[in-house]
Amino acid sequence: MLTLLMGAAFAALAYRLIDLQVLRYDELSAKARGNTIREFLLEPRRGDILDAKGNLLATSVFVKTVCADPMLIGPRAAEVARAVAPLLQMSEAELQERLKPRLTRNEQGVLTTNRYVVLKRKVQLETWQQIQAVMTNLSFGLDEKKLSRAERAFYRGLRRAGVYAEPVDDQLRVYPNHALAAHVLGYVGMSEREIDGRRHLETSGKDGLERVFDSKLAGVRGWRVTETDRPGREVVSLRKQNVEPHDGYNLVLTLDSVAQHIVESALAEAMEKYSPVSISGLVVRPRTGGILAMATLPNFDPNNPGAAVPDARRNRIITDVTEPGSTFKIVVVSGALNDRVVQLSDSFDCENGRFHFAGRVLHDHKPYGVLSVENIIAKSSNIGAAKIGIKLKEDRLYDYIRDFGFGARTSLSLPGEVSGIVHPVKNWSKVSIVQIPMGHGMAATGLQMTMAMCALANKGVLMRPMLVDRLEDRDHNVITKYPPQRVRQVISEAAARQMIQALKAVVLPGGTAPEAALEHYTVAGKTGTAQKSGGPSGYLPGKYFASFIGFFPADEPEVCISIMLDEPKHGYYGGQVAAPVFKQIAERLAGYLNINPEDGETLPGTGAVTVSLDNRTFKTAAARSQ
Amino acid sequence: MARNRKYQSAAIRFGPALKAFLLCLLLGGSGLGYVWLKDQISRLGRQIKQSELRLDELQYQSDKLRKQLGAMRSPLFLERRIQELGLGLAPAQPAQVWLLAEPAGDEPHGGSARQYAAPRLGQGEPNG
Repeated sequence: MLTLLMGAAFAALAYRLIDLQVLRYDELSAKARGNTIREFLLEPRRGDILDAKGNLLATSVFVKTVCADPMLIGPRAAEVARAVAPLLQMSEAELQERLKPRLTRNEQGVLTTNRYVVLKRKVQLETWQQIQAVMTNLSFGLDEKKLSRAERAFYRGLRRAGVYAEPVDDQLRVYPNHALAAHVLGYVGMSEREIDGRRHLETSGKDGLERVFDSKLAGVRGWRVTETDRPGREVVSLRKQNVEPHDGYNLVLTLDSVAQHIVESALAEAMEKYSPVSISGLVVRPRTGGILAMATLPNFDPNNPGAAVPDARRNRIITDVTEPGSTFKIVVVSGALNDRVVQLSDSFDCENGRFHFAGRVLHDHKPYGVLSVENIIAKSSNIGAAKIGIKLKEDRLYDYIRDFGFGARTSLSLPGEVSGIVHPVKNWSKVSIVQIPMGHGMAATGLQMTMAMCALANKGVLMRPMLVDRLEDRDHNVITKYPPQRVRQVISEAAARQMIQALKAVVLPGGTAPEAALEHYTVAGKTGTAQKSGGPSGYLPGKYFASFIGFFPADEPEVCISIMLDEPKHGYYGGQVAAPVFKQIAERLAGYLNINPEDGETLPGTGAVTVSLDNRTFKTAAARSQ
Repeated sequence: MARNRKYQSAAIRFGPALKAFLLCLLLGGSGLGYVWLKDQISRLGRQIKQSELRLDELQYQSDKLRKQLGAMRSPLFLERRIQELGLGLAPAQPAQVWLLAEPAGDEPHGGSARQYAAPRLGQGEPNG
């Protein structure tokens, strides 16, 4: 009998052993692993954005997402809310509401409890450490020694895991210069992504360079498979997999933060003075196409992009098209000079300001008689430009428009760039050939217009505008270098030189922009004043788009600066409102960039001056010439 | 013969005892070594964890300082500080700049005469 009982007992034990170790092996081993093995995602650090001199424009710091388990906190929500609310800078009532335990029915109709509530995102590490300290020392006004074992366990659990941080770190993107170059840098936002069936919120670029270079900046996540002890601490010796994250690359721009600040300060002053709807400024190195500064006002702070209206977040230099007005005359005159249809010294009758063509009357802003090609540019005669256009003929004019890059995106590495409007010749009306040479009947972006001027400054070679110089890793090893890209030779070097000669006359007394002239540098540039299109009559009365695009030193150009004002209120001519802003920026940039003053320059109001430095005698240019 | 066997048997009994002792020593030593190794692994694991936490902390501090440096080097911040401290610093005005021609004999590459900018004498300088 005893043998039978013993045999049955052993048989039962054997069955149980087989049941646990063989039949339910998969289920139980998974459960056992689930109790101890944890998988963590390791967040890579988003790359920095640096200016040409290595100054920080955007960086990231790791932050925490603070969560709570309302089921664990239970009836003590009020005390927890009172302790944590000041640290999270939230109202106590709001926090208490979030900490309330709730029962909800999921899609399968099963009742679930809310064991995961996000209290606040982007919490600084110091704040999280303070929260941990507060929670550890949280007192409920009870003598816990007198409590039952279960109650003591409840309070212990509440203090340890009632409020916790998400295991995957989040990042806070910081723009230390606030609104500086905001339209170029763009901003980041949160987006949801599913990884291994679990949803994760991650930071991704939403606009500007942050968006275009998101994949390079973001880096690659790592992961860790490890075991934890009972309180949830990692047992490093039992780590199974550990793949370190690969940090994002740093983006080094051609942009210079000081140049950008100079431009933005000047634009802000002009904004106050002329009250335009918007004002934009662009500074480009003509030889490389590298953009030194790109600014538009109104702007926004990328640290808090939601606070700005959508219009302020638009980079108008690339997203808005306008009829450029007289600045476009450079295209028709360059083309005509390049095809040798005209010479600078050729004369055209400007009809005293009224030119009848195809049943329409074309006007000049002042009545001019006979003007040379150079003076047509200097005085910005619409009639003269129209007559040059007629001489160049439609097909060639169209070819030059396209060759200068109009009607196509420049491929600048920023989102939202538009191609502008250039109609094919077959769609031109009879008056197009006189309208287009003066910058009407087509539309261009500020960037296209500036790059066309840069082509003249660069011996007729159109360059692709560039904002990003290189990608670097965290140790400053160059990963990718973006060299300047030549698009095409639009006009010959000789024609470009002739154009520069004509453009120099624009800033001389008698030209349209003497206010753009610099003391120690020769400036070449062109004004533009275009009535804004819209309304039933085709144009909006009293609303203008004023611009000035120029470069200096004219014969060895270092920088090309364009200033564009949309609907300026006190004055509207480009030479009147945009040229002074150009001058202000150019003077400061010349000093900052150490651009050598031009030869043969004389000092204002001085005669021969000799300065002795280190026992050597130097004479001023004025002194030497005497 | 019997006497010899008696003497032999004593020698044989000592041999297995020694073997058993050595075996126990080996097993005991292995056990202790295993525990010691496990303890070392665990200790190193804790050290690794501490080092990782320290590294994280240092990286966080580094990020914070980089952010702070970035903010302090920003043109806006510098301009504000200059105003706060009343340093009176401003970009040189064109009239404050002297243009000096390089002496003809010292031209480095025989190219066009380069010119340099220097502060105008007597302006912006303390008297005496």
